[in-house]
Amino acid sequence: MATVKTLIYLIVYPGLLFLFLYSTFVEWYDRKLYARLQNRMGPTHTGRFGLLQPIADFFKLMAKEDIVPDRADRKMFSALPAVGLAIVFTAMLLLPVWNYSLDRPSVTSFNGDLIVLLYLLSLPTFIFFLAGWSSTNLFSTIGGARVLTMLFGYEVPLFLAVLSPAVLANSWRLAEIAAFYRQRPALALVNLLGFVIALICVQAKLERTPFDIPHAETEIVGGTFTEYSGKKLAIFRLMMDAEMVVAAGLLATVFLGGFPGGALLGLVNFIVKTLVVIFFLSLIRATTSRIRVDQVVSFAWKYLAPLAILQLLIVILVKGLLS
Amino acid sequence: MKFQIPIGPQHPALKEPISLRMTVEGEIIRDADLRLGYNHRGLEKLAEQKTWIQNIYLTERICGICSHSHTTCYVQGVEKLMEIEPPKRGQYIRYLVSELERIHSHLLWLGVAGHEAGFDSFFMYTWRDREIVMDILEIISGNRVHYGINTIGGVRRDLDEQQVKHILDSLAILRQRSEYYQHLGTNEPSFVARLAGVGYLSREDAIALCAVGPTVRASGVPMDVRKDDPYGIYDEVPFEVCTAETCDVLGRTVVRIKELFQCYNIIEYLLKNLPTGPVAVRAPRRAKPNEVVSRYEAPRGENIHYIKSNGTDKPERLKVRAPTLGNYAATIKMLKNGFIADVPLIFAAIDPCICCAERAVALVDARSGQEKIISMNALKQLSRQVSAGNARKREAEWPL
Amino acid sequence: MNDQIVIDKAKASLGDKALEITNPAPRRIFIRVKVDDLLAAVGWLRNEMGFTHLATISGVDLGQAFELIYHFANNFTCVNLRTEIPRDNPLLPSICEIIPGAILYERELQDMFGIVVQNIPDGRPLVLPDDWPAGNYPLRKDWKYERPPEVIPGGKK
Repeated sequence: MATVKTLIYLIVYPGLLFLFLYSTFVEWYDRKLYARLQNRMGPTHTGRFGLLQPIADFFKLMAKEDIVPDRADRKMFSALPAVGLAIVFTAMLLLPVWNYSLDRPSVTSFNGDLIVLLYLLSLPTFIFFLAGWSSTNLFSTIGGARVLTMLFGYEVPLFLAVLSPAVLANSWRLAEIAAFYRQRPALALVNLLGFVIALICVQAKLERTPFDIPHAETEIVGGTFTEYSGKKLAIFRLMMDAEMVVAAGLLATVFLGGFPGGALLGLVNFIVKTLVVIFFLSLIRATTSRIRVDQVVSFAWKYLAPLAILQLLIVILVKGLLS
Repeated sequence: MKFQIPIGPQHPALKEPISLRMTVEGEIIRDADLRLGYNHRGLEKLAEQKTWIQNIYLTERICGICSHSHTTCYVQGVEKLMEIEPPKRGQYIRYLVSELERIHSHLLWLGVAGHEAGFDSFFMYTWRDREIVMDILEIISGNRVHYGINTIGGVRRDLDEQQVKHILDSLAILRQRSEYYQHLGTNEPSFVARLAGVGYLSREDAIALCAVGPTVRASGVPMDVRKDDPYGIYDEVPFEVCTAETCDVLGRTVVRIKELFQCYNIIEYLLKNLPTGPVAVRAPRRAKPNEVVSRYEAPRGENIHYIKSNGTDKPERLKVRAPTLGNYAATIKMLKNGFIADVPLIFAAIDPCICCAERAVALVDARSGQEKIISMNALKQLSRQVSAGNARKREAEWPL
Repeated sequence: MNDQIVIDKAKASLGDKALEITNPAPRRIFIRVKVDDLLAAVGWLRNEMGFTHLATISGVDLGQAFELIYHFANNFTCVNLRTEIPRDNPLLPSICEIIPGAILYERELQDMFGIVVQNIPDGRPLVLPDDWPAGNYPLRKDWKYERPPEVIPGGKK
């Protein structure tokens, strides 16, 4: 029985199938919102309201010709998309969905899984850099260099902002943090500043405007993904959507109180809370323009990092007042 | 360490093929080299073999966005050669279409600048408004681009009351939306941060390198052919020359937005004071041997045509210098010591209309001895191979 | 200032270097100089008269000679400086030291007419492709383009 449940957990929900379907839904949601904010229609014809459009895009890309550049390292070039997807799927498994309640902890919930999740979320950045590097194309190399430069900017504020609620909740375990904030919702307001900083840093991690410098289409053609085509590009795009789901799930767990309620209610909670986070991310994307990579780093270190430290101080103060 | 980056001839940032070879060190450009000639169509040679009327068709197709500028500049010159004066109503309609073209070209540029900066929402909004102008042009002339409204001696179509009312109503909507863009374009922090300080061209450089149009007006030089050398009805119409002092891409944006408002004022004046009468006079077939220099303020800058006739019904020489060609030397100066990320923006800021700038002889050339035709595509690839050979060798080593 | 003042100053400063001065239309002045006096005339126009803007350089093939017209403009008139060079020895001094923006126009003249511009800072071909057969100057009157018969690859002859 336990193995059946684990298998369902891994493959159906919240594993592969659910993640695949939900990330395409999230991409539809993002594209439709972005289009409506620009007075356009967005995906309309494929399926009702264009819901099947991202799935159609995925299958179209899978059917296209797959070209590996002559001078590229073939094995690394081909392995990177699959490795990236595996990393993001593993990160998804750590989110406290379904097997949630603390008296029956699942195998994927352990003390310190917040840190593991953050680590797994920073690996895709290196995957992007390696993708650009192994393409041996000038534009990809510049894209890869920009990805790493941005990493110097947003990673530290993101970690600080996400760790503040954990400090207040006295635990490094995602399930416990979420339970803590559900019992005392008023304390979630202490982390408002951290929520805003985390939203901005997640936007940078996902490489969306205003931080989409690494694959800025008008400057360096495709950035890190210039040479990718066909199946590999389809898997990279799926990986980027899944990364958005996981990052939104992380923010919803740590700041918005998690996904209680077992299987069905937990699923509804998950969808609602992640869509709220993605709504904010799409709003930022539609209303700003791209900034240069040096401006990203200076903005992150001049504003985001000090504010994140301020958030940590606030949390420590509140903690001292409470005890 | 330095390495060379080619931008173009094929690149998503460029709307037309042009090859820009830049030597970069990290993210800073140390040197830039411009290679032209990918879009030649042999216009000047061809114009010598076509009659005066056929050449209107030819000059219109020099460019899509500024098609009316080229025909008007040409037709103004030919009218002086033939010593005929088009009637007032014809002139008013001709310059009404000129100002409408200026509006749609500036709105297009605002969208392109937004897109190059990554601000896609701005791009979608300005192009939505451009549709209003395209509809007006379609109502007047039947076409959205290449209006075909000029003829030697006047214009080909007339305006009626309903069209005039439609234009005035649409102007009110456009005016309101342009005020929104003025506020947005100068106050949105990420957009301004992207544009300010980029592509700096000092006043002395702009004058020395003979730049034209909004590029030079953003460096504080009030050079506008409509004021300096008034042609047609511009000595009667009240308007101001718009300049900015910041000498960078933000200044060029501000200049273009201000010019939009001037265009609205000019169009209102023209429509309210539209005289009655015929719209064209008959033109003779031949022109006496003479020469004329015709200048015009296109949306991108000063357009100059030099026409020489020899008494027959075909021109002896037609020389066209489109505004973008005048801005190339200034572009090279602006690119040095800039960032790679700023290249599309700097390049877009001169509002490149590369097909305007290229018109020499036909490139379709049969190699001596061989009988196959080298198509334009193959010739482009060939010239790219020959010229990009150096860059390819550099890619053979690991770049870092 | 108007046209007459410019014409009077031209007569005064250039003297007999200005071979012919005409004013066929308002704001259009044509001055003819010999090619040896070209640099002096351009320098005078730029430095003393304030004509800093060179619009373009037009080349015309007159049969036995090439005629070059330099179009200068400022905010009240246009001065067009005309000069001639013989066809069999087409040498022209470069004005890029006085007006740096003239470089592209001079390169185009080199390509299209086969005129050799002396002291040009950067003499690469501007508009013709790299594999253009040498000696073909398209804008000369005797250069005709013969369209070769079209061959459809793989089709019937």
